[in-house]
Amino acid sequence: MKALASSQKFRNFVVVFSLSATVIYVLSDLSGWAPFTYHPATGRLEWGRTLPRQNEGPVMYWYGWTVGMLIGASILGLLGTLLPERVVKRIPLALIWILPILAIPLLVYSLMPFWTK
Amino acid sequence: MDFLFDYISVTTFWTILLIVHGLLAIALLGALTHQAASVLMPVRVPSDGFVTRFRAVKGAGYVTAVCVLWVLTFLMGAWIYIKYRIYVRIPIERAGFWKTQGFFEMKEHMVTIGLGVLPAYWYLWKNADDAGTATARRWLTVVLAAICWFSFLVGHVVNNVRGLGS
Repeated sequence: MKALASSQKFRNFVVVFSLSATVIYVLSDLSGWAPFTYHPATGRLEWGRTLPRQNEGPVMYWYGWTVGMLIGASILGLLGTLLPERVVKRIPLALIWILPILAIPLLVYSLMPFWTK
Repeated sequence: MDFLFDYISVTTFWTILLIVHGLLAIALLGALTHQAASVLMPVRVPSDGFVTRFRAVKGAGYVTAVCVLWVLTFLMGAWIYIKYRIYVRIPIERAGFWKTQGFFEMKEHMVTIGLGVLPAYWYLWKNADDAGTATARRWLTVVLAAICWFSFLVGHVVNNVRGLGS
């Protein structure tokens, strides 16, 4: 673990992973795009974003958003390890905690139907 | 898993999972609150006061526990979310508690974003000697603690609306 924590490539990975995870998740929520849809009443999994089926209860996109975020951020994080050190060092680390705060108004907006009913 | 239902009811099984989820969340809340207090109000002069002792912890010692607890709490939440969607959310919507449901959706979003920034949190605390990353480490810890408190309180309210025993 110590070797990992002192590795420059791992630093690049975590910085790119954490920044892109927030962005990917918010974009998934705002766009509604999900790599798969889960039907909790029947246990059915379908690729992409699908609508509820008749007599099969509601659908859930959150699992798709979460897995999509983890896969997307992992790919970008791995690509980040290929970047030169000087490029990643230019990325402000403050963005890692600022982006989740900036995400709040966007996510609140995406939930507008719940606030206005 | 079906063999379990020879001994306990399905409702008891999911109730146990909900309680475990809550207990993990409490442990996470305690660890993150200690750590956030230690970075926001570091102790310069030791004393015997309760608040001073509370914030006098070494934040770096909590990082692995926080990461493990966040992931475990998240996984337990994701597991019981299946039942929540049908047996809790639908009645909540029928009862017209739209804002309660909205806050639950917000909790789900924020804990997922928290999961996404967890690797950076781990890295920053594992390099706690690096003064150049102190600001990012401090505020990321505070943001995670705020997400944890928000999620805990929302989960508590939703449980009051329709949780244990309903």
